Amino acid sequence: MKSLPYVIALVVVVLLVFVPWVASDVMMQFAIDALLLAVLAQAWNILGGFTGYVSFGNSVFYGLGTYGTAIAMAQYQLPFWVGLVLGVILAVVCALLIGFPILRLRGPYFAIATLGLSAAMGAIVSNMPIAGSNIGLVLPLVRADTMFYELSLGLLVVCTLTVAWISRSRFGMGLVAIREDEDAAGTMGVNTTTFKITALVLSAFFTALAGGIHAYWISFIDPASAFDPTLNVRMVIMAVFGGPGTVFGPLVGSFILSTIYEYLASSISTAAALLFGLVIVLAVIFMPRGLANMVGGVRAHGPRFFLQNIRENRL
Amino acid sequence: MNAAADTAGGTPILRAESVTKRFSGLVSVDQVSFEMRKNEILGLIGPNGAGKTTLVNMISGTLRPNEGALYFEGQPIDALAPYKRAHLGICRTFQVMKPFPGMSVLENVTVGALFGRDGGETAMAKARESARDWLDFTGLSHRIDARADSLGGPDRKRLEFAKALAMGPKLLLLDEVMAGLNSVEVEEVIELIKKMRERGVTILVIEHVIKAIRSLSDRVLVLHHGQKIAEGDPAAVLEDPQVVEAYLGRRRH
Repeated sequence: MKSLPYVIALVVVVLLVFVPWVASDVMMQFAIDALLLAVLAQAWNILGGFTGYVSFGNSVFYGLGTYGTAIAMAQYQLPFWVGLVLGVILAVVCALLIGFPILRLRGPYFAIATLGLSAAMGAIVSNMPIAGSNIGLVLPLVRADTMFYELSLGLLVVCTLTVAWISRSRFGMGLVAIREDEDAAGTMGVNTTTFKITALVLSAFFTALAGGIHAYWISFIDPASAFDPTLNVRMVIMAVFGGPGTVFGPLVGSFILSTIYEYLASSISTAAALLFGLVIVLAVIFMPRGLANMVGGVRAHGPRFFLQNIRENRL
Repeated sequence: MNAAADTAGGTPILRAESVTKRFSGLVSVDQVSFEMRKNEILGLIGPNGAGKTTLVNMISGTLRPNEGALYFEGQPIDALAPYKRAHLGICRTFQVMKPFPGMSVLENVTVGALFGRDGGETAMAKARESARDWLDFTGLSHRIDARADSLGGPDRKRLEFAKALAMGPKLLLLDEVMAGLNSVEVEEVIELIKKMRERGVTILVIEHVIKAIRSLSDRVLVLHHGQKIAEGDPAAVLEDPQVVEAYLGRRRH
């Protein structure tokens, strides 16, 4: 019975594999974007959903993945996969370096520190000649939307399988224990430092890969787009909307929000900008555990439910 | 019986050597030394603010002593992080219960089984099974799927016990587990603690319920203003004029 979502997911993935043969160019643009955003939301979920560390610094890893790929391909004419590896190495090293000091902070302090970090990283990169300073880098142009699509889909599947494994493993139990009460987790034998850093590194790994694929696909990057803080806000909202700390919540959340956003952007573009703000307010008030609240049959309204949600979100 | 335990004990399971903890001027624990023998129940009593919980915090690792040293099975433990002490088999409950609120009762206990002594059980299925066993043992198996934060007082205590036991402790530190329970529930908890001891666990009990201390403890240690003022046989210690004075104040003439 518990395997039902996995069966559905398998069918959906098999169907998605064949999308490039039927979709229009515009559809493909949207699909690749949506898949990569879903990867970002799912990667964020490892740290924010399971471990309870709300990160606004994942765009740092995204930017490093982007720049790793761009520098390798534009400056050294190396193949795409070398660029991906370089981006991942940069992001993972960065996660290890910042993880030790920054994961000692908790709650809002952690969120603020990560926010500062992504701003700082953007400033650093825009002063590095090897990264094209603040002008950016142009990557070799390819028309291979099918490849980018299948790569993104593959990455999303691997990322989701990782999260599925986490959700039923000892490692995942440790992460959730940290989320629920870090001090108690420590006295019960969870090596909190190692667990948190591993979660951060995993999150950085998938985020950087998504950045690398996006860079080659878009073929032009600059600091403003690579270290875009609103991208990070979108990851958070998509994961929180879908259900943080669940396997499929962030996927469902990101697909739904991507679709609505795309629709609004093409019809009323000012409303699109409002969307994510509205979603976060409504999600926090009415469904603190995301869409999982609705599916799980937890239906309650009125002031008591409202207050309970506010407590659970620690507002 | 005490004399026999003294000679047969070998290395004490826990030894504190003039342990001191200061909080910017306030001396919470002042040069306290004591030993615990394997499989004994030591009652730790004293008025509020005597430093009992601070002492437990230093043993479990959330605080470090300013002076003195703690030895577990002969090894110094002061430099070890709390999780490493849990791996050694030191395990505690909290005065303010700390269940993982968003997890089910079973998951709470499974965490104990997964991460306890020697790093815990690595296989999820086995850990879950042992968690079920401990929930049976503590009489909480009927609430196995409930969310931990939906439990009432006595069930929370049971959960706290089950979590601690699932860790496979050698030394269990119980910080006021009977506070807020009625006398029937206190009896149940006393029985539970006795059952744990039968399984070979060494237990430190902090308690204000003197009846429980009297019926459980092999020895009693009394703290007052951070200092050890008495130690030994429960009946004798509870009659000690210094102890009576600490609890009730000086008798007027």
